[in-house]
Amino acid sequence: MNFRKREVARRIFSYEFNRSTYRIQPEEDKAPVYVLTPLGMRCNRVFVVGALLDKEEVKPDSGVWRIRVADPTGAFRGYVGRFQTDALDSLMEIEPPELVAIVAKVRVIERDGRLFPALRPESISVVDSETRDYWIYETSKRTLERIRRMEEKADEDCKLAWQIYNPNLNEFRQVVKQALATLLEEFELVGEKEEEFEEKEEFEELEEELEFEEEEWDLTDILGE
Amino acid sequence: MKDERIERITNQIVEQFKRSGYEVDAKEISKRLRLLIHEFKVPESEAVKTIKNWLAKELDIPREKLLAEAPLVKIADITKPGQWVSLKAKVVQLWDSTSPSVSQVGLIGDETGIIKFVIWAKSGKREVEEGKSYLFRNVVTDSFQGRMQVNVTRTSDIVEIDEDIQLPPREIEVVGALVAIQQNSGLIQRCSICRRAMAKGVCPVHGKVEGYDDLRVKGVLDDGENVYEIILNEENVKALTGMDLEKAKKIAAERLDRGAVLSELKARLLGRYLKVGGTRGGRYLIVNRVEFLKGVDRKDVEKLMEEVAV
Repeated sequence: MNFRKREVARRIFSYEFNRSTYRIQPEEDKAPVYVLTPLGMRCNRVFVVGALLDKEEVKPDSGVWRIRVADPTGAFRGYVGRFQTDALDSLMEIEPPELVAIVAKVRVIERDGRLFPALRPESISVVDSETRDYWIYETSKRTLERIRRMEEKADEDCKLAWQIYNPNLNEFRQVVKQALATLLEEFELVGEKEEEFEEKEEFEELEEELEFEEEEWDLTDILGE
Repeated sequence: MKDERIERITNQIVEQFKRSGYEVDAKEISKRLRLLIHEFKVPESEAVKTIKNWLAKELDIPREKLLAEAPLVKIADITKPGQWVSLKAKVVQLWDSTSPSVSQVGLIGDETGIIKFVIWAKSGKREVEEGKSYLFRNVVTDSFQGRMQVNVTRTSDIVEIDEDIQLPPREIEVVGALVAIQQNSGLIQRCSICRRAMAKGVCPVHGKVEGYDDLRVKGVLDDGENVYEIILNEENVKALTGMDLEKAKKIAAERLDRGAVLSELKARLLGRYLKVGGTRGGRYLIVNRVEFLKGVDRKDVEKLMEEVAV
């Protein structure tokens, strides 16, 4: 039997996640498929904490539910089908909006030549705001580490990410800043309000770019085990 | 290259016999090794066994005495499969054996590290207990799923010792999210004879026997860089959730479902950040202390904010 080490659940903001469309094809059969993010990280599984904004059955009685989960930088999209029993069971008990922690596999869905990353949750659980706060902190830290590695072109994956995405690192720094600002706000720290406001507008524009007709997606990619 | 190998094996054999007080002829051993390995393509382990048996017969050494001579090593020294060694180690954790051919499986440790061990049912050896220290004589190193382990076989010996073997001194602290809880968690039943976890009232060794209840969580802690397999015992579960064995039984009785305990624990633990203090061995983290992480420190956030030099 071929036994693989469990894949680490990566911490990533939706802003970076939603721009991760490059799949690294496995070299051998049954090897895990990784998605390369614009900051040069391979990921197969993620751990996400955010606000479950809505859940909706894709088609009546299809047994497939579409979810949206927001963090301070945007929103993750995900699909829960009947093969994800644990996640589906908990999802049925949760009424949005609610703070949730999700462990999920990463899928990239192809539609009309465009690629869209989505979550395929393994588990969903209701959590408190302390969990959310720590996730934002931890994810900021990891994202900054990735930015640093991109600057140094630390490994092959970073080089590949430069080649494929040619990311504007400042844009990602702004995203981290914005996320951390939401934490500092909580500590009742008066931040640079105006600047933040401008940033937010900018992000809304970027988000709009990503909108599309989800109903038309071919879901076969994410629903199989 | 080939002769280096012969020389290495020869030295090992000569050394081993020297320790038992016998001088043996290195040239003769090399000659026989070359014949077996190069000419007859006999695997190294078989060749070594053959030569040792021959020497034992020549020198009239009792087989048992020879077998007792596997060198005493520390766990950190175990890096290659197929080596016969002896270890003084403490049983850190026993797991459920899922196969009838395995008598016991778990982790043992000394001050240099922790390693998985397997006692094969065929070995007919005594059972070990968690927390006790033993001399594991003549166990063989092995590599399974890319990691080192030691196997206790028929020719091995397990002797309880008075010494309290210390575990690696460096305790690590991991802050991670509990990303998975395994199915055989919650309110479980253990065999009243051997304490193994039972599945559907059946002990993997003793079959259908009387069982007793226990509460535990087997899970995966993930800090975004590494995964650690952890086991939370009743005490740990109680510290985190307030649920002890009695409360768990009550939940099961009220809901007429033992699985209700697992659902409850999943709802309260999955996706939460835990701060775990413990000893690391391979991909396992032996839990000494566990608590929920309390939010995030303002100073840490401010420090990170400063690092975002835009």
